[in-house]
Amino acid sequence: MNAISLSKLAWRNLWRQKRRTLLTLVSIVFGGCLAIMMTSLQDQVWADFIDSAARLGAGHVTIQHPEYRDMPTLTRTVRGTDLLHEVAMENDDVVRVVDRTSGSVLLSTASDSFGGFFIAFDPTQETPETMDWMEDLVAGGPFQAGQQEGIILGQILARNLSAEMGDKVVYTLTDRTGQIVSGMERVSGIIATGAESTDGALVLLPIGTIRDRVGFAPDESTQVAIFLEDGRNSARVADELKALVGDEVAVLTWDELQPEIKTFIAMKVGGGRVMILIVGTLVGAGIFNTLFMSVLERTREFGIMLAIGYTPGQLFALVMLESAYLAGMGLVGTAAIAAYPYHVLSRTGIDLSSQMEASGGTMDVGGVGISTVMPIGIYPESVLAIAVLIVLATLSAGIYPAWKAGRVSPVESINLV
Amino acid sequence: MSTENTDPVVRFEGVTKVYRQGDVDVHALRGLDLSIFRGEFVALWGPSGSGKTTALNLIGALDSPTSGTLTLEGTDLSKMSRRALSAMRRDRIGFVFQSYNLIPVLSAYENAESVMLLQGVPQAERKVRVMKLLEDVGLKGMENRRPHELSGGQQQRVAIARAIASSPVVVLADEPTANVDSATADKLLDIMARLNRENGVTFIFSTHDPRVMKYAKRLVGLVDGRVDSDVTKAQGQ
Repeated sequence: MNAISLSKLAWRNLWRQKRRTLLTLVSIVFGGCLAIMMTSLQDQVWADFIDSAARLGAGHVTIQHPEYRDMPTLTRTVRGTDLLHEVAMENDDVVRVVDRTSGSVLLSTASDSFGGFFIAFDPTQETPETMDWMEDLVAGGPFQAGQQEGIILGQILARNLSAEMGDKVVYTLTDRTGQIVSGMERVSGIIATGAESTDGALVLLPIGTIRDRVGFAPDESTQVAIFLEDGRNSARVADELKALVGDEVAVLTWDELQPEIKTFIAMKVGGGRVMILIVGTLVGAGIFNTLFMSVLERTREFGIMLAIGYTPGQLFALVMLESAYLAGMGLVGTAAIAAYPYHVLSRTGIDLSSQMEASGGTMDVGGVGISTVMPIGIYPESVLAIAVLIVLATLSAGIYPAWKAGRVSPVESINLV
Repeated sequence: MSTENTDPVVRFEGVTKVYRQGDVDVHALRGLDLSIFRGEFVALWGPSGSGKTTALNLIGALDSPTSGTLTLEGTDLSKMSRRALSAMRRDRIGFVFQSYNLIPVLSAYENAESVMLLQGVPQAERKVRVMKLLEDVGLKGMENRRPHELSGGQQQRVAIARAIASSPVVVLADEPTANVDSATADKLLDIMARLNRENGVTFIFSTHDPRVMKYAKRLVGLVDGRVDSDVTKAQGQ
């Protein structure tokens, strides 16, 4: 018997119990949509989170002094950053390369003194994709090209220092030789990211100011921050760059520099996958029930089919085709039902600000804030994985009933009327 | 006994069949010896439990003997693999059961065609043969009806068409008139008798319906799993 005839038979069998088939499809589609929604939340939230971590840190991939990670002082720097920019930009995954110098700093005003963490950057190199704090300015404005004056403080830090716009702030740090140096700037901006640890410690300075103060060359910084089109390619790009830049500098990925964030994401993603597996198992159990019942109801029919010359293999294939049809229709149904909500939510996100406020405000991990508007987005490979999961769950659920169909005893089943 | 052909289509030699029901052994056949020849129209008759259906199941390779030898066209069925038995049922044997014979989701045409599909008969040939068979059994114009749109008798006619569609050596009919009224039973028997007469198809029935016995050319009476009587009617009887 050719495959088309078995397919036709399988298709018609599926619609013998319309209501049962439709209910099964509803459960597949529900499970599929749930998996799509859960994964959409995870994929985009964590992609954005990684990008935020990269912006807060030093890019998706960072080039720095080999000892800087263990002892981040201004004595451990990278020179020739212009050349490193050129090398990095030749990689197709790289969209931006910027110099950053960062470290600890002591800030003093007439009222108080507080420790902070400074990041000095070149405003001509940075864009909102590499540094989005300028969007969080609640007072003042961003640094302009060539600007050598001014200091931007996190809102909580400014409050602790009793510093307001235009107030003088003295900053103290160690220079490239380990000597203590100081400088004074007026507050030119205050930012509120919503992440307490960031707002309580962040200090932004123009990189030219810091280079002059600590004695760096114009192409010297503590880190070269490399930003990628897709943060998931960090490890590969880092490996490619390592081969080009040699051992005199370290090439590290964002998760090597911020392992606590990597662990946090891994735990969340793992939890999400377990949930999806649970949903998949429940859906699979429902499909199994449907197929098994339908096989039991057709025991006599299978006996007659075996008697007239169908082989057990053909009966196995018949039931497996029925489950394959269920899987196919489940996929189409999932796509049809999920498409529009996904389209809308991928533009608007899900606004959780009221719930966040009710529960006490903001959330951050390792200093990286999580937006109160949860973005929705899904990677193509995640869609493929869900599709494969649906097909596998459905086909797996069909295996035992299909095997059972092929094992029917004609003599016993034909006497069942 | 018919002696039109010297080589039997079916031969039982000392065949026994024992079923286990709970803790009890049920002896369905107790050393059955019987030969059936090509072109015969045979009724196996006898009381319930005499072994009629068991004998048909064994001929149809749906079950295997406990002991003894059963051959179909000289081939010992007990020595065949499952796959070979499937092929044997498909190509050499036609079945007509009491009722609920058909695949419910297929039309009359498709049911009759199904065995030929399994055999790989080309579509054009299938179409010609199926249409002719449905006409022969009086179902012309009802090709597209599903089983639930046909009466019990019409369904049995489709089953007969399907049984002979594969050009089998023998058609096994297990009480084919048990669930139809008298008039329908007569029509079914007329059809089968004609197919036997005109096409030479061998029919073996299990029955205790007197009408079937009236049509049969040879009556084999079974009692307690053995042949109790074997009568071949004279021409015209």
